[in-house]
Amino acid sequence: MGKLLASIKKEFLILINDKVGLLLMYLMPILLVFIITLVQDSTFKLVNDNNLEIIIVNKDKGDLGDTLISHLASTGTFSISEHHELSEDGIQKTLLDGNEMLAVKIPANFSESLNAKAKNISIGMLSEFEMADMSDQVEELNILPLEMYYDPVLQETFRFSVLSTLYSHLSILENRLMIEQLYSEMGFDEIPEGMEDQFMNNRIGIEQVSANNSSGQVIPNSTQHNVPAWSIFAMFFMVISLGGNIVKERLSGSFVRLQTIPASFSLVLISKLFMYVFVALTQLAIIFALGKFVFPLIGLPALVLPSNILGLIVVSFLSALSAISFAMLVGTYAKTQEQANGFGAITVIILAAIGGIWVPSFVMPSYLQTIGNASPLHWCLEGYYTLFLKGGDWYLLSPTLLFLIIFILACQILVYIKLKIQNYI
Amino acid sequence: MSSVIEIQAISKQYPGAAEYSLNTVSFGIEQGDKLGIFGPNGAGKTTLISIICGIIQQSDGKIEYHNENGSVDLRSMLFKIGYVPQDFSFYPELTPYQNLMYFGALYGIQKAELKIKIEQLLAVLGLSHVTHKKVGKFSGGMKRRVNLAIGIINDPDILFLDEPTVGVDVQSKNAIMTYLEELNRSGTTIIYTSHHMNEGQEFCNRIILLDKGTLIANDTLPALLEAHNESSLEALFLRLTGIEYRD
Repeated sequence: MGKLLASIKKEFLILINDKVGLLLMYLMPILLVFIITLVQDSTFKLVNDNNLEIIIVNKDKGDLGDTLISHLASTGTFSISEHHELSEDGIQKTLLDGNEMLAVKIPANFSESLNAKAKNISIGMLSEFEMADMSDQVEELNILPLEMYYDPVLQETFRFSVLSTLYSHLSILENRLMIEQLYSEMGFDEIPEGMEDQFMNNRIGIEQVSANNSSGQVIPNSTQHNVPAWSIFAMFFMVISLGGNIVKERLSGSFVRLQTIPASFSLVLISKLFMYVFVALTQLAIIFALGKFVFPLIGLPALVLPSNILGLIVVSFLSALSAISFAMLVGTYAKTQEQANGFGAITVIILAAIGGIWVPSFVMPSYLQTIGNASPLHWCLEGYYTLFLKGGDWYLLSPTLLFLIIFILACQILVYIKLKIQNYI
Repeated sequence: MSSVIEIQAISKQYPGAAEYSLNTVSFGIEQGDKLGIFGPNGAGKTTLISIICGIIQQSDGKIEYHNENGSVDLRSMLFKIGYVPQDFSFYPELTPYQNLMYFGALYGIQKAELKIKIEQLLAVLGLSHVTHKKVGKFSGGMKRRVNLAIGIINDPDILFLDEPTVGVDVQSKNAIMTYLEELNRSGTTIIYTSHHMNEGQEFCNRIILLDKGTLIANDTLPALLEAHNESSLEALFLRLTGIEYRD
């Protein structure tokens, strides 16, 4: 026990003697979580908080173009700037040069063609009831589409979001015109009072409910995803410092000396395991505390801790142990520090990518999702998702815990085999 | 004198190597010896010491370790063996005090005893003024002395030194060799390798010469000089190993 304590103390001293390394070890993950959460949160707000700047070029000779613009403005999603004078080339140039990333051009015959379409549909409907004559239908116009221009860097999901908003408001406009035409064909001068309002504003709402085991409703947001996700990434990224550290010690004279002392290299590894698990857990505690107490002060959503605190401790401990075991594996098998750093860093980035740290696994192709199941980062994240977003109980957590335990054991067994083969223990 | 370590027909062939690094080498290390192991580059000196200290395994042959209770295994012997490798074998991020506290604790030495021992050792080796400074910033000579201090923190009965004075200034070399003499006078058996023939000639009472993994000489220096009619260890060395480069 005295040897282990001495060894842990040695690791502690080496760690705190490297002030810059220590600062980076704690500061970089905090910065990472802050920046990624801020970026993702601002992206989230871009779509939801009236921040998406859009140019409208209204060439319509009637008034429906203006109606559509006012509808879009009323959604609160867009910050609209109108530049009706712009040509097609002008629109493209403005998008490429300016801040706006989207432009919508309303064609010149927009009102005329929408009115004609509504008139013909209403006459068609009424003629079925022998209340109108089909010969009254007007000549179908060639309806020109609305044109949506976009900056090539704009993500597809944003474009689809804007497109569906446009389609939704076009449908409302078309339906309203059709009702007006129906009333008009039936001899009414105008739609009865309150009908338009009921038609426009009394739509059935959609309430969003996330599947959750706990009684309290946790709203998924950038903090709930990013704080655990990037904390896991930071823990696994310790492969650079720990993996390299193990190789350095293995290749150094101090390791040779250790072989001539009644103590084995496994003692060194166990002490490193203790020390770095401690570092990983304190990293995690600091980041979680920042998420809970500091994020709200800078306008980010606060981290809501799960009700299953014991589950949180167990998942955090196993995640830290997985990360450190992986680093030990890399450090034991790598022949040089460069190998450990290069292989370790790239492997962690790949495992993070397929594990759903950067983008959620469900948006990946099915084969990548299957491959992603082999990533320990995926299972660590699943553990936190289960706790943070699903109010996870032990039953829901059990697959995660099982995988992580198997992963840790596999890493440690491989480390043992390598050390045994090389006569280190 | 009694033999503390008996090396019996040791051979070593590294995996993938065509030739043996050591080829049926046999000799005994006597209590109180100042045994010098010399040889050109690649002769097998470090391999031999590494095998005796248990760092690597021999391919063939046997080593017997003896203490006052008779024949013992290497594991029991490790408490009484000190090893000073050719490379600096400490943690440069730590101070001499922290390094010695760590290695001393691995030998199971109690903290209070260890503190006294460290103070004495650092004083003898002229390192008291840098007790709490990081070793990484020391000069080569100071690092060599720290390397030596760690190797003797357990008060070894048998001390192995692999080129302990390589790359150090004259003052540090003098301090190291003087201290080794003192240790030997107090009963420590010393096994030492070096390329410094003059230093070896002054220090060692027995000489072993290795060449291409084979033991080519094993006797006291006067006996060897007389047998080969040479006046110095260096002349004897060149006569027995030749003058060609050994790169």
